[in-house]
Amino acid sequence: MLEVKDVYKTFSSGYVLKGINFRVDKGEVVAVIGPSGQGKTTLLRCMSFLEKADKGTIIFDDYSHDMTSISPVDIKKIRMDMGFVFQNFNLFGNMTAYENVCEGLVTARKMNKADAGKIAKEVLDKVGMLDRADRYPGELSGGQQQRVAIARAIAPNPKVILFDEPTSALDPELTGEVLDVMKKLAHEGTTMVVVTHEMSFARDVAKRVVFVDGGVVVEEGKAKEFFDNPKEERTRQFLKRTMREY
Amino acid sequence: MSDRLFDILTSSFIKILIPGIKVTIPLTLLSFALSVVIGLLLALVQVADIKVLKQISRFYIWIFRGTPLIVQLFIIFFGLPNIGITLDAFPSAVLAFGLNLGAYNAEVFRSAIIAIPKGQMEAAYMIGLSYPQAMARVILPQSFPVAFPNLFNNLISLLKDTSLASSITVIELFTSAQQIAARTYEPFALYLEAAFIYLIFSTFLTWLQTYLEKKLVWKSKGGSDEEDAGRNKAMIG
Repeated sequence: MLEVKDVYKTFSSGYVLKGINFRVDKGEVVAVIGPSGQGKTTLLRCMSFLEKADKGTIIFDDYSHDMTSISPVDIKKIRMDMGFVFQNFNLFGNMTAYENVCEGLVTARKMNKADAGKIAKEVLDKVGMLDRADRYPGELSGGQQQRVAIARAIAPNPKVILFDEPTSALDPELTGEVLDVMKKLAHEGTTMVVVTHEMSFARDVAKRVVFVDGGVVVEEGKAKEFFDNPKEERTRQFLKRTMREY
Repeated sequence: MSDRLFDILTSSFIKILIPGIKVTIPLTLLSFALSVVIGLLLALVQVADIKVLKQISRFYIWIFRGTPLIVQLFIIFFGLPNIGITLDAFPSAVLAFGLNLGAYNAEVFRSAIIAIPKGQMEAAYMIGLSYPQAMARVILPQSFPVAFPNLFNNLISLLKDTSLASSITVIELFTSAQQIAARTYEPFALYLEAAFIYLIFSTFLTWLQTYLEKKLVWKSKGGSDEEDAGRNKAMIG
């Protein structure tokens, strides 16, 4: 479904991705975990072309592209089938929740307003935000904003949705409502890549877990095996440190 | 105050006010409209980083901010006829004020656009919008409330600067006051009266600004109001 190979990315501060490989299959939920600043978010941003990789190949829907020379037209084509949920929600401040969801359908996909409205109501209902459809982002709590952002991402029925630490900017008591929505999507068979620090989500909801450290994939495996029986020393250390909190 | 002076002031009030309404205000509004269009275009090519156009834009701003307004006015009205372009006084004034203020408004728009958090553009891209669509639908609508106070500031400045048009034979508010002052030998009273009429106009604009700002804040009572406003501040500070 979506695969990237041998991705390199340098920022002025140094290497962030050092030849990383990553794939997600149709209907699969993959959790990407690992220490902060080790390339998880950069990987996601390179896959969606929000950052330009220095080197690498992306295979999306059986089409292979060089990530450094891919054309804007191809980028747009891929993005049309790709949802993205940001850590800071990034809802459009000048639009209501409802308008936020309709925007990608009407402006980008030229859908007529009635059809778009129908879909918008459906997805807002799915995330439990239909009763606040006419609110502006500033009038919503963080958790509510993120649920609207998820509705916006799923509205065009993309082939894959990338989540960039969707609960990291939320107060602890608000993470639950967002994770519940994500669980619901996972159970419906949505293809999801989730960069997260929520270990319980990774363990219970993800099918596969990928551990990224130092700009490479250190270890990956089926969620249960990964947590019960990590093979690499670095993974064990990381899990020991983070799981203590649970 | 002598009866004579009182009579002069009351009879001249209307004589100064009428050209104020008929000339100064249209001159201000037309020049301002032109300056907003120019400013927006200059700002857009800069933030879009379009190679040659960006350089042209910087050059334009350099020229029009770096030379006196009255010199620009004279070049357009008295200078251009030398190379075969002759414009009437009023259009010359609109052109000079519009071109000049356009340079300032370009910076107002540019700073308002870059004050919008980067995530807004990224989110627009990720739902499939193109750059022009994202600009038109997401970034500019949120930039406008940011730009508004500075634009209005420039509008009030412009209202008063239009008095310079008197130097290229436009019969506007100040020209009328000058003529009456010359006839009656009462420059002190007449110029105070002219100042007073300008003050009435700009007071009205100040009220209008307060009123419109309230409306704008209410309308943009979204992310750009609370959370993002803080980020904007952080970018400026």
